[in-house]
This record gives sequence, structure tokens and C-alpha cells, in this order.
Amino acid sequence: MTARVCVLYFAKSAELTGLKEEEVAAVPTPISSRDLWNLLLQRHPRLQTLQDRVVLAVRQQYVAIGDQVAVTLGDRDEVAVVPPLSGG
Amino acid sequence: MAQALATLREKFKEQEKEIAALREKVAQLEMSKTPAPRPDVKVTPPTSLTAKSSLSNEDIMRYSRQLLLPEFGVKGQINLSKTSVLVVGCGGLGCPLAQYLAAAGVGRLGLIDYDEVELNNLHRQVLHREENQGQAKALSAASAIKSLNSTVQCCPYQLQLSPENALDLIQQYDIVADCSDNVPTRYLVNDACVLSGKPLVSASALRMEGQLTIYNYKGGPCYRCLYPAPPPPDTVTNCSDGGVLGVVPGIMGCLQALEVFKIASGQGSSLHQQLMMFDAQDARFRSIKLRPRQSDCAVCGQNPSVTKLVDYESFCGSAATDKCRKLNLLSRDQRITVQAYKLMLDKAEPHLLLDVRPLVEVDICSLPFSLNIPLSQLEAKNSDDIHLLRERISHLKHQIAGISQPPVFVICKLGNDSQKAVNILEQMSGLQVDSIIVKDICGGLMAWANIVDPSFPQY
Ligand SMILES: [Zn+2]
Repeated sequence: MTARVCVLYFAKSAELTGLKEEEVAAVPTPISSRDLWNLLLQRHPRLQTLQDRVVLAVRQQYVAIGDQVAVTLGDRDEVAVVPPLSGG
Repeated sequence: MAQALATLREKFKEQEKEIAALREKVAQLEMSKTPAPRPDVKVTPPTSLTAKSSLSNEDIMRYSRQLLLPEFGVKGQINLSKTSVLVVGCGGLGCPLAQYLAAAGVGRLGLIDYDEVELNNLHRQVLHREENQGQAKALSAASAIKSLNSTVQCCPYQLQLSPENALDLIQQYDIVADCSDNVPTRYLVNDACVLSGKPLVSASALRMEGQLTIYNYKGGPCYRCLYPAPPPPDTVTNCSDGGVLGVVPGIMGCLQALEVFKIASGQGSSLHQQLMMFDAQDARFRSIKLRPRQSDCAVCGQNPSVTKLVDYESFCGSAATDKCRKLNLLSRDQRITVQAYKLMLDKAEPHLLLDVRPLVEVDICSLPFSLNIPLSQLEAKNSDDIHLLRERISHLKHQIAGISQPPVFVICKLGNDSQKAVNILEQMSGLQVDSIIVKDICGGLMAWANIVDPSFPQY
């Protein structure tokens, strides 16, 4: 099974990918959060610098990148990459 | 030709006179500048807040519009008047936050900031006034707060929050609002709040985005639960180099004040275990449900490795400030000073000046004879730009037949990006472009403005 998801990039991740959002087709599901992150890294290797310093969310729910827990994705599901902002 | 040369020389002399006059003016102004007030480094405990059991007639009049809210009411007002809030940073977030909390009648506000008010702060740091330039931000904010609501106890601290003073300060307050502008301070405030058991209402903003989270609150995560490792320092963008639209920290600071208000009045925050994000470009808010406190967290976990405050600047590899760092990537003979570059210009020595700032900054100001190719485009080896560079270099080479390696000087705002560009150009030299000698202009256009041409804009 695969799903077509919408990936949203915020803050530094938008700068690193040059994108605010993109559709990613044929994402295998269920998928571990680690594999989902790796899939994003394959598309955008520059995201590597955010490892351990980023919130990854599926359907507006936090998923820990280290987890082996499988995430089930549906078509048009939102995946968000949210690095912290530090400015004020 | 001779005529043109003479006119140019005449013009040049006039400009030099003008510059000399400006220099003198600058020196005079600097001499007459009043010395900054001595920083208040010792932390004296403020007097405790007297517990009110009822509201005075004046309170009722002043707060009537919020007393009418069933969610808040007299009880909420009294609770608020008993609450003390420590505001870390009196900038773009801290100003609106402190302003609304004071207006609403919070009991005590602690205002921390080590910095002074600058003209480029005023577009977003709305408590400071033109006449406060050069004054300590903590004092400037405190005086604005006092004139807004004199019944609020206001404690300005003109100091840098540090591992030495953070616990002493935070222990005297009920709620902490992180309105800081740098990563080391964010970890410091987090750890100090965990160690002293205080809720941390944390907002941040950059460019057109904002974030808001409540840490260490009702079993929710702390900052380290979410971000165990600090970002590599060279990947952090701050407001002084990334820019920020003033209304964005304004919105985030107001939302932050709202959550502080809810906790203080006894309703509790609605952002418990949530990360709220604001995208100003799309005018959209999103909320992400976060994970709870992590049992393996270094500071709030079951076996914490951080049991007292540590050195956060070395943990993060960066200074606790949002001022730009000075990189040192090159050897001395790969760099020249702005004065030396000016001498070279005066002698009209043929060369290429490459400005590697982003286009948006070139639009603000630039040296008219420079060629602009942003660093990001050089890094990406953008073919159009490489082509343009190759043409300009080969043109220069024809112009100065006899010199085998034409000189290329690289400039940016402060002299960091230009050093990176020098390294890239040296790799390209003799391959993608003719063989060149590349040098970085130390300190960039801001050094040019400070030392050579005071009429050049600074930003
Ligand atoms: Zn934690």
C-alpha cells in the first residue's frame, strides 16, 4: 500500500529545501517514522543538519523520528517538518 | 578625456571634504554621548506581592471590561494581581507581552535585557521610543510600563541571564516568558524552569513565521524533550541577518501574553502539550500535538544528567546574543581591509568587485561598480551566474593584459559570507573561470560605512 501525502516545510526546513510544501506520491504505508524521515532526507539531503533538532508531525501529531512505531498514512495526509525558531 | 578626468578629480575632492566634515561630526557626537548607566548586576529580591482579597473602586473601573468576562471575572483579576511574571528579553516579543500583561493588571513584571535600544529595534519593539535610543532596554521598557499602569510592580534587570543568576531570578517569579532571541538562552531558560519547577511560556519569531509552546507544564515536554541537541551554530538564522516583519513577533508576543494570562488567572493554558505555529505569509495558524515529557530527557527525565545549570554557550557553540558572529575562514593574505581597498580604488586599479549578498539586501544599498552574485547561487554553481562571472573575469583579463591573474575582491554585509565565497572562487579559479587572485574585504560594507564612507547606509 502507498499513499500520496502533502509535506509541509517550516522555518529552516523551508530554507533548506526551497519549498514550503510538496506532494509526495507513493509513500509506503504503514511506515516507521525513521523511514519516513529517511525518505524526506533522500529527497532533500540538506535536511540532515536538522536531525534530532526538528519536530516531525503526521496529521498534526508529533512522531518521534527514532521510533520504530509504524505510522499509517492516507492520501492527502499532512506531514510537517518543524524546526524550532529561536529569534525574537 | 583630460577634461573628464579633471571634473572627476574635482568631484572627488568635494566628496572627500564632505566625508571629512561628516567624520568630525561623528567624532563630536561620540564625545558628547552620555555614558550608559551602570548595569544593575546584583539581583535584589523584590518585595512580595500583597494578596488582595477584593478590588478597589479604581481597579473595578480600570479593569471593568475584562471583569465582565465570565471566564475571567473578579477571581481571575485577583489571581492575576497576585502573579509575578519574568520576561526574558525586552525585544519584539517581550514588548507586546509586557505591555498587555501590565495593562491587564499583572502583579509583578520582571524585565530582563542586557542590550540597549537601537533605531533598528523600533519597528517591532513597540515599548521603546525614539528618545530611548542608547538606553538600556530593560529600563526603557520599565518606564513605558510604569506610565501605562503604575499599580504594576516592575523590576528591570539590565543584565544578561546567565547560569549564575538564572535560578535566583526565576525562583522569585511564578511564570517565565521566554522572549529571548538566541539558542543558548532558550536552553538556559528551559533548564532553569525545569530545575525550579516553573511553567515556561515560550514564543519565537523569525521572518514571517512564529511559534508558541508551553514547556514544563502539566506533564508536557520541556524544550530539551523536543530538541535534545542544539542546532549547529552556522545553521541558525537570527533576526539581525534573516530579518523579521515587526507584526509577526507582535502577534506571537500577544498570544504568549494570552497564555500567561490564562495560567495566571487560574484557567490554565489551552496550549498544554501543543506547538502552535503561525505563518504570516498565508495568514494561517496550525497546532501540533506534542509528545509528553520524555523519561529519558537530559533535564526533566527520570535520571537527568543536567542537575544544575551548565555553560550554555559552549553547549550550543554560540554566544547568547543575536548579534552576528565573526567568522575567520581565511589567512591574512586572502583578506584586505576596507582602507586598503579604498586606496586601490583611488589609484583606479582594474579589478572586479563581487558582492555576494542576497538580492533583497543589494536593493537596500550597494557599491555602484560591484557585480552581484549571491553566495547561495555561487554555492549551487548556478550556470547563468558562472557564465556571467567567467565573462567579466575574461573581460578584465583583456583590460589588463600582462597581469596573468586578475584580482577579484569579494564583499558582503559583515565579511562572513564573503569569506565563504573566496573559498568557492579559489576552487573555481583556473577551472570554471580564468585563473584569478581572490581576496575578501574584511568587515564588508558595514566596515566600509563605518570607516571609509559614513554616508553609506547601515542596516
Ligand atoms: Zn525534558
